[in-house]
Amino acid sequence: PQSLLQAYAKFSGAPLTLNTINSSWRAPKGDVPVLISEDIVISQPAKILNFLRKQKYNADYELSAKQGADTLAYIALLEEKLLPALLHTFWVEAENYCSVTKPWFASRIAFPLSLYLPGKMSREALNRILLTRGGPPLYSLTEVEAQIYRDAKECLNLLSKRLGTSQFFFGDTPTTLDAFVFGFLAPIYKVCFPRVQLQEHLKQLPNLCRFCDDILTCYFRLTVSGHSPGGQDMADANLQKLTQLVNKESNLIEKMDDNLRKSPQHPPRKLTTLKLAAGGEESPLNRLSP
Amino acid sequence: AAEPWPENAALYQQLKEEQILLSDNASSLAVQAFLQMCNLPIQVVCRANAEYMSPSGKVPFIHVGNQVVSELGPIVQFVKAKGHSLSDGLDEVQKAEMKAYMELVNNMLLTAELYLQWCDDVTVEEITHPRYGSPYPWPLNRILSYQKQWEVRRKMKAIGWAGKTLEQVLEDVDQCCQALSQRLGTQPYFFNKQPTELDALVFGHLFTILTTQLTTDELSEKVKNYSNLTAFCRRIEQQYFEGHDKDSSTTVAARSAKRSLLR
Repeated sequence: PQSLLQAYAKFSGAPLTLNTINSSWRAPKGDVPVLISEDIVISQPAKILNFLRKQKYNADYELSAKQGADTLAYIALLEEKLLPALLHTFWVEAENYCSVTKPWFASRIAFPLSLYLPGKMSREALNRILLTRGGPPLYSLTEVEAQIYRDAKECLNLLSKRLGTSQFFFGDTPTTLDAFVFGFLAPIYKVCFPRVQLQEHLKQLPNLCRFCDDILTCYFRLTVSGHSPGGQDMADANLQKLTQLVNKESNLIEKMDDNLRKSPQHPPRKLTTLKLAAGGEESPLNRLSP
Repeated sequence: AAEPWPENAALYQQLKEEQILLSDNASSLAVQAFLQMCNLPIQVVCRANAEYMSPSGKVPFIHVGNQVVSELGPIVQFVKAKGHSLSDGLDEVQKAEMKAYMELVNNMLLTAELYLQWCDDVTVEEITHPRYGSPYPWPLNRILSYQKQWEVRRKMKAIGWAGKTLEQVLEDVDQCCQALSQRLGTQPYFFNKQPTELDALVFGHLFTILTTQLTTDELSEKVKNYSNLTAFCRRIEQQYFEGHDKDSSTTVAARSAKRSLLR
């Protein structure tokens, strides 16, 4: 969700300042990511997107009605087919969880929350997967896992076919759908896990890889070397890459430049600065809401 | 080896007049529409324990030859293996779109229907509880009903719908209908001239919503706002469900689907 929101904010040109908070408790209601604008607090990605749109930061302004409908449909596809496998890779798969996700997460939040919260999120992820996908005739966890990975690979294939050779999903400028897809794909693509079947599958789809790389270089100014500001000491270089990806400086306004498509609805406008509070190490799956 | 479609293929669902609920009726109608579109004859058989007979616990399921397949997705694949398919003429991008829209319908419409009938207290009290366990004696009817309700509420909580209010759910339905309406536009079917499984699925859900009487009319009002969707339903109904003489699936489906599900 974080990378999704940041991508969307970049695409639509909203000025966002990103605050890292160290404890998920501090976010109101314990939910991250959280958007705080003046006094309004909004906590779910979909609602945050709606809020941004109403504030006239609309990346979809130039889409036709049909394309808007397509966006909704593809987002539903992502949530239904890809999200379970993503949750599984990050939170349920034992090796991945123990060696990557949990230490990463726990290192960013305060003790004793770090003991409790990762476990809770892992349990919730498993719960969600089993409840939504685990009914008969799939009776064991391995069968469910096999099915969700099959679905995820099929979903990736479908996305690849839909993207084809164009730069973004609806032509030359990025939209909400691109933000969503990026939000889902970037973690798979960039984070190095011991068990990587999804990543390998993704790498076989060159246009999706190119899509991620394009967004990373254009909108996140990611450089190969370079430290994230704030100087966290990360042992793992791969984690550092992802840190750079999702951990931004507090002042993002300078990112609003010609690269971003200006929505006709928001020419020079003095707006409230929107603070996007992100928790932990921005594991994009901080909260399991789609 | 693809065997020909037998004459005695049967579709099982719950009892139409007394027991079946909104979401199950929608799924069942979708499968019936799909089979009609493929020109495959099917008989609808109503059984009180259809849910338990089904291999996946969900209705409807079809019994063809010596195989039993449940739910629209697997049924489409099964039918395809037998050599009938509605979506062969689509190219890859269109197929991707079709799958995406089917997920949208499942994600939004089906979940909204489930929410309405199991998480909205008024509907639960007045409609769902009396209907769901009606074939069984007390106290079994209550027990089964509560068990199912608990199960559905757990699932809603896991996907984040438990915290939604009815207004939010109706808004989601509206958004979904808007998307479907925009995608359909002025075409007769979603992929222009030929119906596909997406059309069957959308028809199943929308027709059921439009013709089912619940405690309020808000849900059907949301659909009625979009005239091309109601015209779409009428068109499919006329083409595939009327003018058939056999009294098994088609006319019965159309007739009783028109009647209210309110006892």
